[in-house]
Amino acid sequence: MATLNAKYRGLDPIPPPFSKEYPPVALIVEEKCIACDRCPPVCFFDALVMESRPGHKYHRTALVISENCTGCGLCFEACPVEAIIWVPDLEKAKPKTRPGESAMKDADV
Amino acid sequence: MTLATSFLGLQLQSPLLIASGPASHDVNQVALAEEQHIGAIVLKTVCSDKYDHMRYWPRPRYKLLDWDKQISGRSKYFTLYSYEQGYSGTLLDYWDFIRACKDHATVPIVGSIFADIADDWKELALKVQESGADAVELDISSPHRPGSLDFETTFVAAIDAVVKALRIPVLVKLGAGPDVIHQCKAAERCGASAVTLCNRIRGFDVDIETQQPILHGYYAGVGGPWAKYYTFRHVAEAAQSIKIPISATGGATSAEDIIKYVLLGASTVQILSVIMVNGWESIAQIHADLAAYMQRKGIHSLEEIRGKALKTMILPEDIVRWSGEPKTGARNVWKPVDDHGHS
Ligand SMILES: Cc1cc2nc3c(=O)[nH]c(=O)nc-3n(C[C@H](O)[C@H](O)[C@H](O)COP(=O)(O)O)c2cc1C
Ligand code: SF4
Ligand code: SF4
Repeated sequence: MATLNAKYRGLDPIPPPFSKEYPPVALIVEEKCIACDRCPPVCFFDALVMESRPGHKYHRTALVISENCTGCGLCFEACPVEAIIWVPDLEKAKPKTRPGESAMKDADV
Repeated sequence: MTLATSFLGLQLQSPLLIASGPASHDVNQVALAEEQHIGAIVLKTVCSDKYDHMRYWPRPRYKLLDWDKQISGRSKYFTLYSYEQGYSGTLLDYWDFIRACKDHATVPIVGSIFADIADDWKELALKVQESGADAVELDISSPHRPGSLDFETTFVAAIDAVVKALRIPVLVKLGAGPDVIHQCKAAERCGASAVTLCNRIRGFDVDIETQQPILHGYYAGVGGPWAKYYTFRHVAEAAQSIKIPISATGGATSAEDIIKYVLLGASTVQILSVIMVNGWESIAQIHADLAAYMQRKGIHSLEEIRGKALKTMILPEDIVRWSGEPKTGARNVWKPVDDHGHS
């Protein structure tokens, strides 16, 4: 459904529902990827590379190295075909416990 | 013709600096920035242990608003909405990070810190110096900083303590707003070497489909190319109010923006968003366009035009004014509107 400011899709304004249980990481839907090379350069965390994929329409796709992905969301804004989605990082169960939890009251975010 | 700039006693090959943030959180980014002949690098801000929670980031933490990626992924106007707070490692990681940067960098490295009480600021600043950084920037103006920290009671003491304790130059990064010139003067009085103007501001956005705030239900840091207009003004005001150099930051995406900041009195310009959205190569583009402008204008060094635009500024009462449309007579006589909307 169109919203007033829906010039493009890009990153969903609301985080995925599982994001309170598991940290979200990016995943490439390979069938959708058109190998445009736009996403690797926007990742500041060395989590996106282009890989050869014999049999793929474009013979290559982007690939997320999930150990490096900080879930920042920037690559979602770069992808012209919405080929990047959130998946839970099941290995890192639960959000990080925050040693400074009490100080959170004073924090802004 | 040269882009070389002298700043805080350091000889920089360019007036462009990497601003503190995600383009300077990792030692390997130093090489990427140096490849682009950057002038210096301000590292991601580290927080004191009391603010340990700021080392943990929500996911996702960036969203581009008003971003039209159909234009080959490059929009001229956008807002970068962000929840990123401090450097995500420990203090020990940060000191190692500075040392690793210094081992490999040929350009100056500026450490960046955040704390609350003056003793903590001083301790962090001394560690930054000890780790080999060429200067330290005090990030007292993050859009995410706790609202309970006040400039007069907390930060003046912090700037004072850090300046007294350090040998290396101290930059104070200030936020936009009505207090900024007062704060520039206070920083200068405390002996700061330079001010960085202006940090991003706290903003907010709502999703009208779900009718809730976007991302994480709280205010976020916002900035974008539009942010340059109020920063231009603050830089102009500061350049006329203080003698210490100004490092401008906010919304610069092109050589034109850099030139404007220099014309308004800035010595250096710190950039980040343009790198995040358009890549590291945007630095090379800015340098090439800067050089072309200087060539065209016969400028040997930017020093020649620093603050030049301020010389033609005047007082509001000296602006030439003309009378507007006459408001007597017909403009004050009511004319009824007929059914067709005609009067
Ligand atoms: C994602 C992000 C993270 C940032 N983190 C910091 C920080 O840790 N410390 C700091 O002093 N400034 C931080 N900033 C502000 C930048 O250093 C810079 O001053 C600001 O973004 C304005 O420049 P720009 O419009 O070129 O991005 C951050 C900005 C962004 C966008
Ligand atoms: S979400 Fe961020 S960190 Fe993860 S792959 Fe995308 S750009 Fe990289
Ligand atoms: S931006 Fe999208 S289409 Fe382009 S390479 Fe990345 S995932 Fe594939």
